[in-house]
Amino acid sequence: MVVKEFAMPDLGEGLTESELVSWNIAVGDTIELNQVIAEVETAKALVQLPSPFAGKVSKLFVEPGTTVQVGAPIIAVEVEGGEPSAEPAPPSESVEGQSQEGGERNSVLVGYGPSVEGTGRPKRRSRAAAAASAATPEPTSVPEPGRERPRSTPPVRKLAADLGVDLTTVTGTGQDGLITREDVVAHSGRVEASVPSAAQTRPGQREREVRTPIKGVRKHTAAAMVSSAFTAPHVSEFLTIDVTPTVELLDSIKSNRAFSGHRINILTVVAKAVCIAIERNPTVNSHWDDAAGEIVQFGYVNLGIAAATPRGLIVPNIKDADQLDLIGLAGALTSLTEEARAGTTSPADLGGGTFSITNIGVFGIDAGTPILNPGEAAILAMGAIRRQPWEHQGEVALRSVMTLSLSFDHRLVDGEQGSRFLADVGAILSNPGMALTMV
Amino acid sequence: MTQLSLSAAINSGLRRALADDPKVVLLGEDIGKLGGVFRVTDGLQNEFGPERVIDTPLAEAGIMGTAVGLAFRGYRPVVEIQFDGFIYPAFDQIVAQVAKLHYRTGGNVKMPITIRVPYGGAIGAVEHHSESPEAYFAHTAGLRVVSCSNPQDAHTMIRQAISSDDPVLFFEPKRRYWVKGEVSEDISGAPSMESAHVVHEGTDVTLAAYGPLVITARDAALAAAEEGISVEVIDLRSLSPVDFATVEASVRKTGRLVITHEAQQSGGLGAEVAASITERCFFYLEAAPARVTGFDVPYPAAKLEEHFLPDLDRILDAVDRVMGRQNSLTGWSA
Amino acid sequence: MLRSTPVSDDRTTTDFDLLGHPEDLVQLLTPTGERVADPAYDEWVSDVSDEQLASLYEDMVVARRLDTEATALQRQGQLGLWPPLLGQEAAQIGSARVLRSDDFVFSSYRENGVAYVRGADLTDMVRVWRGVGHSGWNPYEIGMATPAVIIGAQTLHATGYAIGCKHDGVDSVAITYFGDGATSQGDVNEAMVFAASFKAPVVFFCQNNQWAISEPVGLQAARPIADRAPGFGIPSMRVDGNDVLAVMAVTRVALDRARRGEGPTFIEAVTYRMGPHTTSDDPSRYVDPEVEAAWAAKDPIIRLQRLLESNGLFTDELQASVTAKADAVAREMRDGCHSLDAPEALTVFDHVYTTPHSGLERQKSQYAAYLAGFEGSAS
Repeated sequence: MVVKEFAMPDLGEGLTESELVSWNIAVGDTIELNQVIAEVETAKALVQLPSPFAGKVSKLFVEPGTTVQVGAPIIAVEVEGGEPSAEPAPPSESVEGQSQEGGERNSVLVGYGPSVEGTGRPKRRSRAAAAASAATPEPTSVPEPGRERPRSTPPVRKLAADLGVDLTTVTGTGQDGLITREDVVAHSGRVEASVPSAAQTRPGQREREVRTPIKGVRKHTAAAMVSSAFTAPHVSEFLTIDVTPTVELLDSIKSNRAFSGHRINILTVVAKAVCIAIERNPTVNSHWDDAAGEIVQFGYVNLGIAAATPRGLIVPNIKDADQLDLIGLAGALTSLTEEARAGTTSPADLGGGTFSITNIGVFGIDAGTPILNPGEAAILAMGAIRRQPWEHQGEVALRSVMTLSLSFDHRLVDGEQGSRFLADVGAILSNPGMALTMV
Repeated sequence: MTQLSLSAAINSGLRRALADDPKVVLLGEDIGKLGGVFRVTDGLQNEFGPERVIDTPLAEAGIMGTAVGLAFRGYRPVVEIQFDGFIYPAFDQIVAQVAKLHYRTGGNVKMPITIRVPYGGAIGAVEHHSESPEAYFAHTAGLRVVSCSNPQDAHTMIRQAISSDDPVLFFEPKRRYWVKGEVSEDISGAPSMESAHVVHEGTDVTLAAYGPLVITARDAALAAAEEGISVEVIDLRSLSPVDFATVEASVRKTGRLVITHEAQQSGGLGAEVAASITERCFFYLEAAPARVTGFDVPYPAAKLEEHFLPDLDRILDAVDRVMGRQNSLTGWSA
Repeated sequence: MLRSTPVSDDRTTTDFDLLGHPEDLVQLLTPTGERVADPAYDEWVSDVSDEQLASLYEDMVVARRLDTEATALQRQGQLGLWPPLLGQEAAQIGSARVLRSDDFVFSSYRENGVAYVRGADLTDMVRVWRGVGHSGWNPYEIGMATPAVIIGAQTLHATGYAIGCKHDGVDSVAITYFGDGATSQGDVNEAMVFAASFKAPVVFFCQNNQWAISEPVGLQAARPIADRAPGFGIPSMRVDGNDVLAVMAVTRVALDRARRGEGPTFIEAVTYRMGPHTTSDDPSRYVDPEVEAAWAAKDPIIRLQRLLESNGLFTDELQASVTAKADAVAREMRDGCHSLDAPEALTVFDHVYTTPHSGLERQKSQYAAYLAGFEGSAS
């Protein structure tokens, strides 16, 4: 004895509900197969429902006059035994992800018309655990390799054309060797590799040209330069100042016992002056986030110092340099320089910079037009300190003179802002006591 | 090998088919005594009799439905629709019956019917005699669709179509019926009816055409060569299925695709080829595929048809476009 | 297995003028079950024995029972649709029973009585209506094409088939069943043109059941349908479609003509569609209950029952065995229906072509890969 339920069927070509008008039987009645048990009204007609089971009516789920959704159970019948043949198999079950039913419920044929929607949120079918991945077994014959063009995308091809890059010489790093935008950018400026003939060099003579593969730090630096140079509109300003008071300050610090053991030099002072000036002119310490369409104003200073290493130029930065006092800055600069020389600078130190300083003065150079460290708004180059005739107290005198060169991203920094920043740095260096008025 | 016109090549193909298989029967209006309005069935009724080459009443649906019945009975009917524009009364029998019967009967009933349709324009004709309806049939599941462009293919492919157990729409470019070419009746080593052929090699642009415009495409390639552009011409030959592997190999080499057909642009075979090749060859494309087709107007009167049909200049204009050269299409937003 | 009542060989229509009486309704059995004489047709059924009469009765009862069972299955959600033949049993059984196994049937979707006589498997009969396939049976196994859903298309197929038979030099006949509405379709008229021009051995069997869904036959034809065929040069007969004996007779006449090379014949069997067009239809919207009641009085099964009763053939044994047979066939159909599962997903690509089609093969392999990516995908 098993109880089977009969659900309201789709009575014709996509009807989703019907009204149960009346029952022809009652609970407890014994009914036969195909005996008319109810009258049902659809949008199209009044129809009689024949019972799919023979047995005893055990429950009526629906009151007369109620509208019933297709698929909702309307009657339960106690049926003899568990004849497999009395169990109607829903034909669409294996095909659709159509839910349902434990074995007892009479399923509805949903091959006709729209299927009965579930009431839950629309959801995608869940994917198999083992990602069978993208490999579609295509029966198409692979065409003869022959001559094929390099694989890339139309926008990247245009970029390559604009940059003058021949795609046949580029190695693609994308999926299946696809040439990506980065590949083209990195490649631009690369010299065609051609094998130099050994016979060209006569013994004892200097090499006419030496070729070095472009890779590693230099490759990365070059890419960064290109990216920065061609993305941010650079403006450079110069300020030449009499830094004699700073030089005298440094001398007195040297003989001050409180600072013994700490290397305080012109770079330390410039670093400090920069931090103070940033506080007053924050736009030079910001970032143009093109992807997010936002300008990021940093509330801290990660101060990058350009360092020449045997492997090339790197710009490690001192995190939260604005929080350090002079001694702290000195210590940080010392370790930074030592690590750079040793080649042990960590990747963390190389990322996240917000402002950079480059000391071209160590090479005896006065000024330059430095290129921004990509992602930063400004970079300050400090030149050599020279003894030069200068105006001093109304007369010409030999003074220690230094030029500061500031390049900034004109998208982020106006001329006025850049100028004020540079002026502030210059003011501190030409009269360190002025710092008292700025903090 | 003999020199035959395209229509004579089909005639000889039909003759071979009739001789090789007693179940082959031809049906059509005026195909018997008259030999067909284009003489494609000339002499066949004399040779094979009126029960093999059957003159029918003027009723395209009737002809097609009767062919279905004959196919049920085990025959291999070859039906002629006298002109492209007259195929529409037969459309229901073709699409609802011929195309579906094999599928509908779970493979039990075959419809080895060949439907021959002279098609295309440039013959200075009146209305309804210059149509290109191939897209309707390429769009219909269950049908194969082919179009020959030269006498050898006409001969080979009509025989292949008749031997196929699938229904085949066989589009004959009527403006090329009188073009002559070498024809061999030995088709044992012939390539499959499904395959496309590279008829002119090149490296800069792939130009795909079929039926009447293959000759025009080849002419365009020769003209382009004088300007230093190397055009590879592909005769698609089969429109359902399309031999995408051949087109793909070409576009991987050239990076540029132009497709040309007489039929109207919207929903035409050019759209199918452009979309499929873009899917398959996106990473090789230098430019978007270009289509050179009839305009979306009913086929015009004879004196205007030159302004409807693709010609050498319009094709080369599209070649210019995909080459990135200055052309008259510059400034068109697609 | 073909259920058949073949005619003996010594019949002929050589002297028979068919063109003279299209408006007359051939009748051999009145609605009240009396056998009436019609000299032109009596000889065509003079061989029908008592056993055969009982067998014809059984076939009609079974056909009606199949119909009600299938309707119930539809109401129970087991079939999407069913087109009942209620009221047309005599037209279908009578004509189908006189066919040979080598004849071929091209019918509409309503001829399930004919399918039963031709030997169609009960499960095959419901396959289409359950939505698991487009075709129930293999046409070549029972000599009956997959029923046409496009109205009238089958008449051309039958004509072509008949022309093929003629070319083959055999005397097999094609018979095509269609309704009154179908006679308005171009295909049906073109079929008659072709049949006449080629003298095809085809029988056009029109069941005029008075309705094409809700359109009355008067909308399709301004004159009796049987009048059309002579205009094409095809002789026609008009028969009481609810009279199984008359139907047998006229069908035999037509078959005989065809077999002897006389060409096509048109039969208009006047009957009534006592049920709805299909299970989705509601005839109460357009049928006059009085007209329906009048036709109920002409029921094809009841009149044969009356004849059997008056011949003392309607015994308890006969009733019991007929009921048992009807129950068994209904059970077989019900069980067969329940046994039909949805086909495997990838079979949607089967049988489109006879040999691989590269475009379709690609679609199939891509879809197979797509399906395999889902949780719980069957292999």
